[in-house]
Amino acid sequence: MSDRRTELESAPWSGRVRRYDLIKEGVAAVVIVAIVVAALSTLFGSPDDKQVTFKQWAVAAPADFYATAVQELAGTSGTAGYGAPYNHASDGVNLGPLYLAKWLGVTHPVDTVNDFVITPLTTVANAAPVADALKQWQGSDAKTQSTWATNYDTALTKANQDASKVSAGNYGPVPALAGGLLTMAQAGSLDGALLSQGNYFQSDNTKQTLFLGDGSYFNDQSTASNLQGSTWGMMNETGRYPGQAWLWLYSFWYQIPPFNNGDNHPFGANADAWIMLIMGALSIGLICMPLIPGVRSLPYKIKIHRLIWKNYYQEENL
Amino acid sequence: MGIFHHFMNLKAVYIHWGWFQISITNLLVILFMLVLFGLALVLPFPGNKKGKDQK
Repeated sequence: MSDRRTELESAPWSGRVRRYDLIKEGVAAVVIVAIVVAALSTLFGSPDDKQVTFKQWAVAAPADFYATAVQELAGTSGTAGYGAPYNHASDGVNLGPLYLAKWLGVTHPVDTVNDFVITPLTTVANAAPVADALKQWQGSDAKTQSTWATNYDTALTKANQDASKVSAGNYGPVPALAGGLLTMAQAGSLDGALLSQGNYFQSDNTKQTLFLGDGSYFNDQSTASNLQGSTWGMMNETGRYPGQAWLWLYSFWYQIPPFNNGDNHPFGANADAWIMLIMGALSIGLICMPLIPGVRSLPYKIKIHRLIWKNYYQEENL
Repeated sequence: MGIFHHFMNLKAVYIHWGWFQISITNLLVILFMLVLFGLALVLPFPGNKKGKDQK
Protein backbone atom coordinates (compact mmCIF):
# COMPACT_ATOMS: atom_id res chain seq x y z
CA MET A 1 0.00 0.00 0.00
CA SER A 2 1.39 3.38 -1.00
CA ASP A 3 2.19 6.00 1.62
CA ARG A 4 -0.24 8.42 -0.02
CA ARG A 5 -3.10 5.88 0.23
CA THR A 6 -2.27 5.10 3.85
CA GLU A 7 -2.23 8.79 4.60
CA LEU A 8 -5.61 9.38 2.95
CA GLU A 9 -7.23 6.41 4.68
CA SER A 10 -6.03 7.39 8.14
CA ALA A 11 -6.84 11.09 7.78
CA PRO A 12 -9.95 12.37 9.63
CA TRP A 13 -13.02 13.12 7.48
CA SER A 14 -13.05 16.81 6.58
CA GLY A 15 -16.27 16.90 4.53
CA ARG A 16 -19.82 17.46 5.66
CA VAL A 17 -21.38 15.28 8.37
CA ARG A 18 -25.01 14.53 9.11
CA ARG A 19 -26.82 13.43 12.26
CA TYR A 20 -28.12 9.91 11.89
CA ASP A 21 -30.32 8.08 14.42
CA LEU A 22 -29.87 4.35 13.82
CA ILE A 23 -32.23 3.33 16.66
CA LYS A 24 -34.98 5.59 15.30
CA GLU A 25 -34.59 4.12 11.82
CA GLY A 26 -34.61 0.53 13.17
CA VAL A 27 -37.75 1.13 15.22
CA ALA A 28 -39.49 2.80 12.27
CA ALA A 29 -38.58 -0.15 10.01
CA VAL A 30 -39.90 -2.73 12.50
CA VAL A 31 -43.16 -0.81 13.03
CA ILE A 32 -43.76 -0.33 9.29
CA VAL A 33 -43.04 -3.99 8.50
CA ALA A 34 -45.32 -5.13 11.37
CA ILE A 35 -48.18 -2.98 10.04
CA VAL A 36 -47.67 -4.27 6.47
CA VAL A 37 -47.54 -7.92 7.67
CA ALA A 38 -50.70 -7.49 9.76
CA ALA A 39 -52.52 -5.83 6.86
CA LEU A 40 -51.47 -8.46 4.29
CA SER A 41 -52.36 -11.30 6.69
CA THR A 42 -55.79 -9.79 7.27
CA LEU A 43 -56.37 -9.41 3.54
CA PHE A 44 -54.87 -12.60 2.12
CA GLY A 45 -54.30 -15.13 4.93
CA SER A 46 -51.87 -17.93 4.06
CA PRO A 47 -51.81 -21.03 1.82
CA ASP A 48 -53.64 -23.90 3.47
CA ASP A 49 -53.67 -26.83 1.06
CA LYS A 50 -54.61 -29.90 3.04
CA GLN A 51 -51.83 -32.47 3.31
CA VAL A 52 -52.03 -35.53 1.06
CA THR A 53 -52.73 -38.67 3.09
CA PHE A 54 -52.41 -42.37 2.26
CA LYS A 55 -56.15 -42.69 2.81
CA GLN A 56 -56.79 -39.99 0.23
CA TRP A 57 -54.41 -41.68 -2.22
CA ALA A 58 -55.78 -45.22 -1.68
CA VAL A 59 -59.39 -44.07 -2.07
CA ALA A 60 -58.83 -41.76 -5.06
CA ALA A 61 -56.34 -43.95 -6.98
CA PRO A 62 -56.47 -47.53 -5.59
CA ALA A 63 -54.80 -49.09 -8.65
CA ASP A 64 -51.83 -46.71 -8.38
CA PHE A 65 -51.51 -47.37 -4.64
CA TYR A 66 -51.72 -51.14 -5.14
CA ALA A 67 -49.09 -51.10 -7.91
CA THR A 68 -46.78 -48.93 -5.79
CA ALA A 69 -47.11 -51.34 -2.84
CA VAL A 70 -46.09 -54.20 -5.18
CA GLN A 71 -43.10 -52.15 -6.41
CA GLU A 72 -42.01 -51.58 -2.80
CA LEU A 73 -42.06 -55.36 -2.25
CA ALA A 74 -40.25 -56.04 -5.54
CA GLY A 75 -37.62 -53.36 -4.97
CA THR A 76 -38.45 -51.56 -8.23
CA SER A 77 -39.82 -48.33 -6.75
CA GLY A 78 -37.95 -45.04 -6.88
CA THR A 79 -37.04 -45.25 -3.20
CA ALA A 80 -35.92 -48.90 -3.39
CA GLY A 81 -33.44 -48.05 -6.16
CA TYR A 82 -32.41 -44.58 -4.91
CA GLY A 83 -29.13 -45.40 -3.17
CA ALA A 84 -27.66 -43.26 -0.38
CA PRO A 85 -28.79 -41.95 2.03
CA TYR A 86 -31.59 -44.56 2.09
CA ASN A 87 -30.00 -47.79 0.83
CA HIS A 88 -27.13 -49.30 -1.16
CA ALA A 89 -29.17 -50.03 -4.30
CA SER A 90 -27.25 -47.57 -6.51
CA ASP A 91 -24.37 -45.10 -6.45
CA GLY A 92 -26.73 -42.16 -5.94
CA VAL A 93 -26.12 -38.56 -6.96
CA ASN A 94 -22.66 -37.87 -8.38
CA LEU A 95 -20.59 -35.12 -9.98
CA GLY A 96 -18.79 -37.13 -12.64
CA PRO A 97 -16.35 -39.34 -10.73
CA LEU A 98 -17.27 -37.74 -7.40
CA TYR A 99 -19.93 -39.94 -5.79
CA LEU A 100 -21.02 -37.49 -3.11
CA ALA A 101 -24.08 -39.37 -1.81
CA LYS A 102 -22.21 -42.68 -1.69
CA TRP A 103 -19.33 -41.13 0.26
CA LEU A 104 -21.73 -39.73 2.86
CA GLY A 105 -23.22 -43.22 3.23
CA VAL A 106 -26.60 -44.60 4.22
CA THR A 107 -27.50 -42.23 7.05
CA HIS A 108 -31.29 -42.74 6.95
CA PRO A 109 -31.84 -46.42 6.12
CA VAL A 110 -35.16 -47.25 4.47
CA ASP A 111 -36.11 -50.85 3.74
CA THR A 112 -39.12 -50.47 1.45
CA VAL A 113 -40.28 -54.09 1.92
CA ASN A 114 -40.47 -54.01 5.69
CA ASP A 115 -40.83 -50.29 6.45
CA PHE A 116 -43.57 -49.62 3.88
CA VAL A 117 -45.48 -52.92 3.69
CA ILE A 118 -44.71 -55.74 6.12
CA THR A 119 -44.22 -53.80 9.38
CA PRO A 120 -47.36 -51.64 8.93
CA LEU A 121 -49.40 -54.78 8.17
CA THR A 122 -48.21 -56.39 11.42
CA THR A 123 -49.53 -53.45 13.45
CA VAL A 124 -53.20 -54.16 12.69
CA ALA A 125 -55.51 -57.16 13.07
CA ASN A 126 -55.75 -58.53 9.53
CA ALA A 127 -58.41 -60.67 7.91
CA ALA A 128 -57.49 -64.34 7.42
CA PRO A 129 -56.09 -64.07 3.85
CA VAL A 130 -53.79 -61.20 4.80
CA ALA A 131 -52.72 -62.80 8.09
CA ASP A 132 -51.93 -66.05 6.23
CA ALA A 133 -50.05 -64.10 3.54
CA LEU A 134 -47.95 -62.41 6.22
CA LYS A 135 -47.08 -65.79 7.78
CA GLN A 136 -46.16 -67.20 4.37
CA TRP A 137 -43.98 -64.18 3.55
CA GLN A 138 -42.20 -64.14 6.89
CA GLY A 139 -41.62 -67.90 6.73
CA SER A 140 -39.86 -67.70 3.35
CA ASP A 141 -36.28 -66.90 2.42
CA ALA A 142 -35.28 -63.63 0.74
CA LYS A 143 -34.73 -65.23 -2.68
CA THR A 144 -38.23 -66.70 -2.78
CA GLN A 145 -39.75 -63.42 -1.59
CA SER A 146 -37.91 -61.54 -4.32
CA THR A 147 -39.05 -64.03 -7.01
CA TRP A 148 -42.71 -63.73 -5.97
CA ALA A 149 -42.63 -59.94 -5.84
CA THR A 150 -40.70 -59.48 -9.09
CA ASN A 151 -43.00 -61.91 -10.95
CA TYR A 152 -46.11 -60.10 -9.76
CA ASP A 153 -44.66 -56.64 -10.38
CA THR A 154 -43.80 -57.62 -13.99
CA ALA A 155 -47.25 -59.18 -14.54
CA LEU A 156 -49.04 -56.16 -13.05
CA THR A 157 -47.07 -53.77 -15.24
CA LYS A 158 -48.00 -55.87 -18.31
CA ALA A 159 -51.66 -55.70 -17.23
CA ASN A 160 -51.39 -51.90 -17.08
CA GLN A 161 -51.83 -51.89 -13.28
CA ASP A 162 -55.19 -53.69 -13.51
CA ALA A 163 -54.95 -56.50 -10.94
CA SER A 164 -58.04 -58.22 -12.36
CA LYS A 165 -56.24 -58.75 -15.69
CA VAL A 166 -53.06 -60.28 -14.27
CA SER A 167 -52.56 -63.81 -15.59
CA ALA A 168 -51.96 -66.68 -13.15
CA GLY A 169 -48.39 -67.14 -11.96
CA ASN A 170 -45.99 -67.81 -9.11
CA TYR A 171 -46.77 -64.74 -7.02
CA GLY A 172 -46.92 -66.29 -3.54
CA PRO A 173 -48.61 -64.01 -0.98
CA VAL A 174 -47.75 -60.76 -2.80
CA PRO A 175 -51.28 -59.99 -4.17
CA ALA A 176 -52.78 -60.57 -0.71
CA LEU A 177 -50.15 -58.38 1.00
CA ALA A 178 -50.68 -55.51 -1.46
CA GLY A 179 -54.45 -55.91 -1.12
CA GLY A 180 -54.15 -55.88 2.68
CA LEU A 181 -52.08 -52.71 2.61
CA LEU A 182 -54.61 -51.09 0.26
CA THR A 183 -57.43 -51.93 2.69
CA MET A 184 -55.38 -50.60 5.60
CA ALA A 185 -54.64 -47.34 3.76
CA GLN A 186 -58.29 -46.89 2.73
CA ALA A 187 -59.29 -47.29 6.38
CA GLY A 188 -56.86 -44.51 7.31
CA SER A 189 -54.53 -46.52 9.54
CA LEU A 190 -51.41 -46.57 7.32
CA ASP A 191 -50.47 -42.92 7.94
CA GLY A 192 -50.10 -43.49 11.67
CA ALA A 193 -48.40 -46.88 11.25
CA LEU A 194 -45.69 -45.35 9.05
CA LEU A 195 -45.14 -42.41 11.40
CA SER A 196 -44.97 -44.47 14.58
CA GLN A 197 -41.92 -46.49 13.51
CA GLY A 198 -38.96 -45.60 15.70
CA ASN A 199 -38.99 -43.19 18.63
CA TYR A 200 -41.88 -42.42 20.97
CA PHE A 201 -42.11 -38.84 19.73
CA GLN A 202 -42.05 -38.78 15.94
CA SER A 203 -41.52 -35.80 13.71
CA ASP A 204 -39.71 -37.56 10.87
CA ASN A 205 -41.99 -37.84 7.83
CA THR A 206 -39.29 -39.16 5.49
CA LYS A 207 -40.86 -42.59 5.02
CA GLN A 208 -44.34 -41.26 4.27
CA THR A 209 -42.96 -38.73 1.81
CA LEU A 210 -40.83 -41.33 0.02
CA PHE A 211 -43.71 -43.82 -0.20
CA LEU A 212 -46.08 -41.13 -1.48
CA GLY A 213 -43.45 -40.01 -3.98
CA ASP A 214 -43.09 -43.52 -5.41
CA GLY A 215 -46.66 -43.47 -6.74
CA SER A 216 -48.18 -41.34 -9.47
CA TYR A 217 -50.91 -39.75 -7.34
CA PHE A 218 -48.65 -37.44 -5.31
CA ASN A 219 -46.72 -36.52 -8.45
CA ASP A 220 -49.95 -35.66 -10.26
CA GLN A 221 -50.99 -33.38 -7.37
CA SER A 222 -47.69 -31.58 -7.69
CA THR A 223 -48.10 -31.19 -11.45
CA ALA A 224 -51.63 -29.83 -11.02
CA SER A 225 -50.33 -27.19 -8.61
CA ASN A 226 -47.39 -26.18 -10.87
CA LEU A 227 -44.92 -27.31 -8.25
CA GLN A 228 -42.76 -29.55 -10.47
CA GLY A 229 -39.11 -28.57 -10.66
CA SER A 230 -39.23 -28.78 -14.45
CA THR A 231 -41.87 -26.01 -14.58
CA TRP A 232 -40.21 -23.50 -12.20
CA GLY A 233 -42.04 -25.17 -9.31
CA MET A 234 -39.33 -24.11 -6.86
CA MET A 235 -40.55 -20.52 -7.26
CA ASN A 236 -44.24 -21.31 -6.88
CA GLU A 237 -46.72 -21.63 -4.03
CA THR A 238 -50.07 -23.38 -3.91
CA GLY A 239 -53.09 -21.39 -5.04
CA ARG A 240 -52.52 -17.79 -6.09
CA TYR A 241 -50.05 -16.93 -3.36
CA PRO A 242 -46.66 -15.55 -4.40
CA GLY A 243 -43.88 -18.08 -4.11
CA GLN A 244 -40.13 -17.95 -3.63
CA ALA A 245 -39.35 -15.60 -6.52
CA TRP A 246 -35.81 -15.11 -5.21
CA LEU A 247 -35.07 -18.74 -6.20
CA TRP A 248 -35.41 -17.84 -9.88
CA LEU A 249 -31.74 -18.43 -10.69
CA TYR A 250 -31.64 -21.76 -8.84
CA SER A 251 -34.84 -22.81 -10.63
CA PHE A 252 -33.63 -21.51 -14.00
CA TRP A 253 -30.96 -24.20 -14.45
CA TYR A 254 -33.55 -26.97 -14.20
CA GLN A 255 -35.34 -25.59 -17.30
CA ILE A 256 -32.43 -25.78 -19.74
CA PRO A 257 -30.23 -28.51 -21.25
CA PRO A 258 -28.35 -30.50 -20.14
CA PHE A 259 -30.06 -30.41 -16.74
CA ASN A 260 -33.58 -31.01 -18.06
CA ASN A 261 -32.59 -34.02 -20.14
CA GLY A 262 -34.23 -36.55 -17.85
CA ASP A 263 -33.05 -39.20 -15.45
CA ASN A 264 -31.19 -41.26 -18.07
CA HIS A 265 -28.76 -38.46 -18.92
CA PRO A 266 -25.68 -38.04 -16.67
CA PHE A 267 -26.45 -34.35 -16.12
CA GLY A 268 -30.23 -34.74 -15.92
CA ALA A 269 -29.98 -37.57 -13.39
CA ASN A 270 -27.56 -35.58 -11.24
CA ALA A 271 -29.01 -32.13 -11.89
CA ASP A 272 -29.38 -31.39 -8.16
CA ALA A 273 -25.66 -31.85 -7.54
CA TRP A 274 -24.52 -29.97 -10.66
CA ILE A 275 -26.84 -27.04 -10.03
CA MET A 276 -25.76 -26.87 -6.39
CA LEU A 277 -22.16 -26.69 -7.65
CA ILE A 278 -22.99 -23.92 -10.15
CA MET A 279 -24.88 -21.89 -7.55
CA GLY A 280 -22.07 -22.41 -5.04
CA ALA A 281 -19.53 -21.12 -7.58
CA LEU A 282 -21.74 -18.12 -8.43
CA SER A 283 -22.24 -17.36 -4.73
CA ILE A 284 -18.49 -17.42 -4.14
CA GLY A 285 -18.13 -15.16 -7.19
CA LEU A 286 -20.62 -12.73 -5.66
CA ILE A 287 -18.74 -12.69 -2.36
CA CYS A 288 -15.46 -12.17 -4.21
CA MET A 289 -16.79 -9.39 -6.49
CA PRO A 290 -14.51 -6.74 -4.95
CA LEU A 291 -11.53 -8.89 -5.92
CA ILE A 292 -12.48 -9.73 -9.52
CA PRO A 293 -10.89 -7.32 -12.07
CA GLY A 294 -13.50 -5.84 -14.39
CA VAL A 295 -16.44 -6.92 -12.27
CA ARG A 296 -15.26 -4.78 -9.36
CA SER A 297 -15.23 -1.75 -11.68
CA LEU A 298 -18.87 -2.14 -12.71
CA PRO A 299 -20.21 0.37 -10.11
CA TYR A 300 -18.00 3.06 -11.67
CA LYS A 301 -19.52 2.32 -15.08
CA ILE A 302 -23.15 1.86 -13.96
CA LYS A 303 -23.01 4.91 -11.64
CA ILE A 304 -26.15 4.04 -9.67
CA HIS A 305 -24.43 5.47 -6.57
CA ARG A 306 -24.45 8.90 -8.26
CA LEU A 307 -28.23 8.61 -8.63
CA ILE A 308 -28.66 7.64 -4.95
CA TRP A 309 -26.42 10.49 -3.74
CA LYS A 310 -27.45 12.90 -6.52
CA ASN A 311 -27.87 15.85 -4.12
CA TYR A 312 -24.29 15.51 -2.93
CA TYR A 313 -22.92 15.24 -6.47
CA GLN A 314 -25.01 18.25 -7.60
CA GLU A 315 -24.03 20.43 -4.66
CA GLU A 316 -20.38 19.54 -4.94
CA ASN A 317 -20.40 19.87 -8.76
CA LEU A 318 -18.85 16.45 -9.06
CA MET B 1 -57.96 -17.04 6.92
CA GLY B 2 -58.17 -13.57 5.40
CA ILE B 3 -60.68 -11.46 3.52
CA PHE B 4 -59.50 -12.70 0.10
CA HIS B 5 -58.62 -16.19 1.35
CA HIS B 6 -61.00 -17.98 -1.03
CA PHE B 7 -59.75 -16.05 -4.06
CA MET B 8 -56.12 -16.67 -3.14
CA ASN B 9 -56.65 -20.44 -2.94
CA LEU B 10 -58.12 -20.71 -6.45
CA LYS B 11 -55.97 -22.20 -9.21
CA ALA B 12 -53.18 -19.81 -10.16
CA VAL B 13 -52.82 -18.25 -13.60
CA TYR B 14 -49.44 -18.70 -15.30
CA ILE B 15 -47.79 -16.91 -18.20
CA HIS B 16 -45.74 -19.00 -20.65
CA TRP B 17 -43.01 -17.80 -23.02
CA GLY B 18 -41.46 -20.93 -24.47
CA TRP B 19 -39.58 -22.59 -21.63
CA PHE B 20 -40.18 -19.64 -19.31
CA GLN B 21 -43.15 -19.74 -17.00
CA ILE B 22 -44.20 -17.48 -14.15
CA SER B 23 -47.34 -17.03 -12.09
CA ILE B 24 -49.16 -13.71 -12.33
CA THR B 25 -48.69 -13.25 -8.57
CA ASN B 26 -44.93 -13.77 -8.71
CA LEU B 27 -44.72 -11.40 -11.68
CA LEU B 28 -46.66 -8.73 -9.76
CA VAL B 29 -44.41 -9.12 -6.72
CA ILE B 30 -41.26 -8.81 -8.87
CA LEU B 31 -42.65 -5.74 -10.69
CA PHE B 32 -43.58 -4.22 -7.32
CA MET B 33 -40.04 -4.75 -6.06
CA LEU B 34 -38.61 -3.11 -9.20
CA VAL B 35 -40.95 -0.12 -8.81
CA LEU B 36 -39.98 0.16 -5.14
CA PHE B 37 -36.29 0.08 -6.13
CA GLY B 38 -36.89 2.78 -8.74
CA LEU B 39 -38.71 4.96 -6.21
CA ALA B 40 -35.94 4.48 -3.68
CA LEU B 41 -33.50 5.81 -6.28
CA VAL B 42 -35.44 8.88 -7.33
CA LEU B 43 -37.32 9.96 -4.20
CA PRO B 44 -35.43 12.20 -1.78
CA PHE B 45 -34.51 10.95 1.67
CA PRO B 46 -37.02 12.10 4.31
CA GLY B 47 -35.69 15.17 6.07
CA ASN B 48 -32.91 15.58 3.53
CA LYS B 49 -33.18 19.34 3.32
CA LYS B 50 -30.50 21.86 2.73
CA GLY B 51 -29.01 23.25 5.86
CA LYS B 52 -29.17 20.01 7.83
CA ASP B 53 -25.65 19.03 6.96
CA GLN B 54 -22.98 20.26 9.28
CA LYS B 55 -19.42 21.11 8.74
